[in-house]
Amino acid sequence: MVRTTCPAMNCTRSLLLARVLAALAPRSPAPRSPSALHTASAGLFRSKHASLGQRATRLPSRCFHSSARRPDAKPAPSSERSDQEGESSHTGAGKTLVTYEDLFERAARDSRTKATFTRVLEVFCKEDVRRRGHVEFIYAALKKMPEFGVEGDLSVYNKLLDVFPKEVFVPRNYIQRMFNHYPRQQECGVQLLEHMENYGVMPNVETKVLLVQIFGEKGHPMRKYQRLMYWFPRFKHVNPYPVPRELPRDPVDLARLSLQRIAGDLDARVTVYEMPSTDLSECGEDSSRLYVVGIQSPDQQTLLSKHNPERPVFVEGPFPLWLRKTCVYYYTLRADPLPPEEKVEEPVDPERSFFYPLELDLDLDRDLGDDDDFDVDEVEEGPVFALCMASSGDQATLSKWISGLQETNPILGRTPTVFRLNSGPQEIQTSSEPERKEDQDLLQSRKMTQ
Amino acid sequence: MSLNGLFRVSRAVKSGGKLLNKTCGVGSTDSQSPRFFRTHPRSLVYAKDLFLGNIAKKEVFPYPEISNEELDELNQLVAPVEKFFSEDVDSKKIDEEAKIPPETMSGLKELGLFGMQVPEEYGGLGLSNTMYARLVEIISLDAAITVTLAAHQAIGLKGILIAGNEEQKARYLPKLSSGEHVAAFCLTEPASGSDAASIQARGTPSKDGKHFLLNGSKIWISNGGIADVFTVFARTEVVDKDGNTKDNISAFIVERAFGGITSGKPEDKMGIRGSNTCEVHFENTPVPIENVIGEVGGGFKVAMNILNSGRFSMGSVSAGMIKKLIELTAEYAGTRKQFNKSLAEFGMIQEKFALMAQKAYVMESMAYLTAGMMDRPGVPDCSVEAAMVKIFSSEGAWVCVSEALQVLGGLGYIKDYPYERYLRDCRILPIFEGTNEILRVYVALTGMQYAGKILTGKIMDMKKGNLGVVLEMLGKRLRDTVNKKVDFGLMGKDGVVHPSLMENSKKLEENVYSFGTTVESLLYRFGKTIVDEQLVLKRVADIVINLYTMTAVLSRASRSISIGLRNHDHEVLIANTFCAEAYFQNNYLMAQLEKNSPENNDDSIKKIAMQVLEKRAYVCSHPLDRTF
Repeated sequence: MVRTTCPAMNCTRSLLLARVLAALAPRSPAPRSPSALHTASAGLFRSKHASLGQRATRLPSRCFHSSARRPDAKPAPSSERSDQEGESSHTGAGKTLVTYEDLFERAARDSRTKATFTRVLEVFCKEDVRRRGHVEFIYAALKKMPEFGVEGDLSVYNKLLDVFPKEVFVPRNYIQRMFNHYPRQQECGVQLLEHMENYGVMPNVETKVLLVQIFGEKGHPMRKYQRLMYWFPRFKHVNPYPVPRELPRDPVDLARLSLQRIAGDLDARVTVYEMPSTDLSECGEDSSRLYVVGIQSPDQQTLLSKHNPERPVFVEGPFPLWLRKTCVYYYTLRADPLPPEEKVEEPVDPERSFFYPLELDLDLDRDLGDDDDFDVDEVEEGPVFALCMASSGDQATLSKWISGLQETNPILGRTPTVFRLNSGPQEIQTSSEPERKEDQDLLQSRKMTQ
Repeated sequence: MSLNGLFRVSRAVKSGGKLLNKTCGVGSTDSQSPRFFRTHPRSLVYAKDLFLGNIAKKEVFPYPEISNEELDELNQLVAPVEKFFSEDVDSKKIDEEAKIPPETMSGLKELGLFGMQVPEEYGGLGLSNTMYARLVEIISLDAAITVTLAAHQAIGLKGILIAGNEEQKARYLPKLSSGEHVAAFCLTEPASGSDAASIQARGTPSKDGKHFLLNGSKIWISNGGIADVFTVFARTEVVDKDGNTKDNISAFIVERAFGGITSGKPEDKMGIRGSNTCEVHFENTPVPIENVIGEVGGGFKVAMNILNSGRFSMGSVSAGMIKKLIELTAEYAGTRKQFNKSLAEFGMIQEKFALMAQKAYVMESMAYLTAGMMDRPGVPDCSVEAAMVKIFSSEGAWVCVSEALQVLGGLGYIKDYPYERYLRDCRILPIFEGTNEILRVYVALTGMQYAGKILTGKIMDMKKGNLGVVLEMLGKRLRDTVNKKVDFGLMGKDGVVHPSLMENSKKLEENVYSFGTTVESLLYRFGKTIVDEQLVLKRVADIVINLYTMTAVLSRASRSISIGLRNHDHEVLIANTFCAEAYFQNNYLMAQLEKNSPENNDDSIKKIAMQVLEKRAYVCSHPLDRTF
């Protein structure tokens, strides 16, 4: 068993960790700075000892309760684990994890990239053939993955899985197979796969080979893998309107994509009414961000041309549209639905089709038995004539859109236009920077409640 | 029994022939339409009656004939035309150069082929529809010339002929029929194919009120580059009796000499390359008010009449082409040897020839039956029949040419041989003069309208739950299932079909009867919303076309066998084979039209199409794609 309560063992592990840490400082001068090493390992020792007491008491809850009655019971629920982790990071109780996290923290000093992340893994693997403490290490690595931006990278997961020692945990006889063999390791493997699942990373054959090598053909992680492989391919293309994984960086391109997505009409034409001017000579930053991107389909044009110019049209917005983690805002040009007294049904012109009658002169209606339409109460909404996205949601910018629309829809010149704008965000926001994510989320939730 | 029947039929035919002979003499004294047979005037409703489950056998039996004098006259006409086409027309050159040489054109003019249906008093040949059909059968040897001539007289000058007044006729027809002037028909616009509402060309009255100023563009105008006289359709403002102004369509006779007319460059086409097709632009072309055909604002009816009357000839055109093709390919199949056997000995090759012979026979039968019906007195409305002829023969022509090319193997694909030209040329047939899809809707809806008017009362009663009507219906159905005997009198006493075709005439009767019930149930189910059920309409049209073809071949074969035409046994064989197949087709189609029929996949078909069209692309993933 790797896990033990013996303090001596823990001490050795801490020592080992210190060595790993030392090896992780590649840019340090050849004669290692003794002070740095000393402080690092001292800290490690301190934290180790401080945590010993809690470790012993918490141990049972971290293990699988192997029982003959539930030979293939699922690993303990993950929520429990993550709760503990969260708790430990706040209270400072589970310091062991923190030390493994330190490995990453240190590596992250120069850059948080895939290269540094994998280097940490390599260093850990090289340091000790027995891979002592690998379970904790893997948990720590999983936690750090999003920070390094590798949470969606399959090769990294495979590398991480490779940290497990091979063939040690494979049950060798039916009794081992029947009971939960190496429960903590198996649970860790399942957690890793679940992490992949949550980030939508599909395992590949390499993952499978590794899992077989580590846990054997019938281990819990293997079962998890099989379930993943059952559902993931089926769900991969379940969304008929997929959002590209990488959204365009240019706000105009992003607006174009979003508008085409909302319009859902292949005929709809996107027009950029004001391109972002790149020269920073006059107004500096502000002028470089001015743009209005609009979309209108031929059908909408016809609708608008039939609009009664006595009645106003409304510019409304901003309305949010989520594209993966990005929220963008759009504005609509719409009108109120026609009051029933103004609706005129145009009779079919009998002299319209040269070749065949467009309607029959009969009193017979469709038989009820052949009326396949559902009885739906339709709420009538006003027509939407056009959509746009703009660099800012103020009236000045949006009226540029309207004046641009006038070129193709002359009727707008005669129609009163009412701006019904909520105070919205001033620009399209992207959550590419994780630091800003929090306050942005706040902002978005505020918008939603509005 | 069979002898009796034979006697009866031949008697009927004889008396019919006598009748025709007699009437022809009377008819020729009539100045307006010298070739029309004079019997009592009646409206022709054969195709429409099929929708009610009736066979109006008097309309189609006996098969129409022309008199001996007319036949002699026709043969005298046919001989020089045939000679001209076999000797002086170089189809290959016309196709390659995309132009009919002037000497060929002048030859056509000398033969009088530019005014075949124009009355003699205006310098035309004054042919009846039947004779016209016979002549275009020969002209069809060159598709480019056929189309040029058809654009000139089947639609180009037809407006003047059927709706023009005396002055217009006297002014234009002589020059048109001599070929001095060529006519063109200008209806299609970039935005308007079948939809009159989107016609943009406009005629505005000039200030002095004597002219219309014509503005607009027309596309795909056959003869557009060579024509001197155009029949143009354009919008004009009309004040109706309520005082409202409306934009209605008017038909104008426009001479190129009026000015303001420009033709685009000739379109480079796949087939019928020798015919001239181009855009025609009108810019403030002044058209005198007296050049309006019919009334101002009455152009729609004129256009419809022209289009409806021009179609029937496509049957004999296709038949002529296929007959020629059969000769060419049979020659090849007889001489080409593989494995010490000629191609003609292989079953799969034989099947193709049987198919071609059948199709050609059916096309001919339909074309001349329809032409004969149109030649009857009055103004018989044969537009449904003509549309059916067009649909069947244009599609049949494509199948036959394709099969012929298959017989020829690689040879058919080589440009040095004439065969591939046939394929290119005949591809236009299902497209122009109203696409086959549109004509199917026309055929089906016209019949449905006719039947619906008559059946409405009965169906309303049934829907209201009128017990008497429902019980009567049920009783009838029950009797049908127990002892179904359909007899429309095609056989037996006063029978019109020869006994050697008895079995198939029974099949026709049975089909017609069940078609009547099908139509009734369709009207019950869909009512006037059947307009939107295009797949249903397509099947209905296909059934009627089959019924009409069956009628035509039965009628023709009966006549042939009864008067002892050469090779009539071959005709009977073809007729029986064709009818048997058409009968099965009809049964299948009618089974599909039943409610909740398992044979009917329409919903799925529509769904597939919708999904493809929504994406505007092929939807399925590539077979080599993977998800993991």
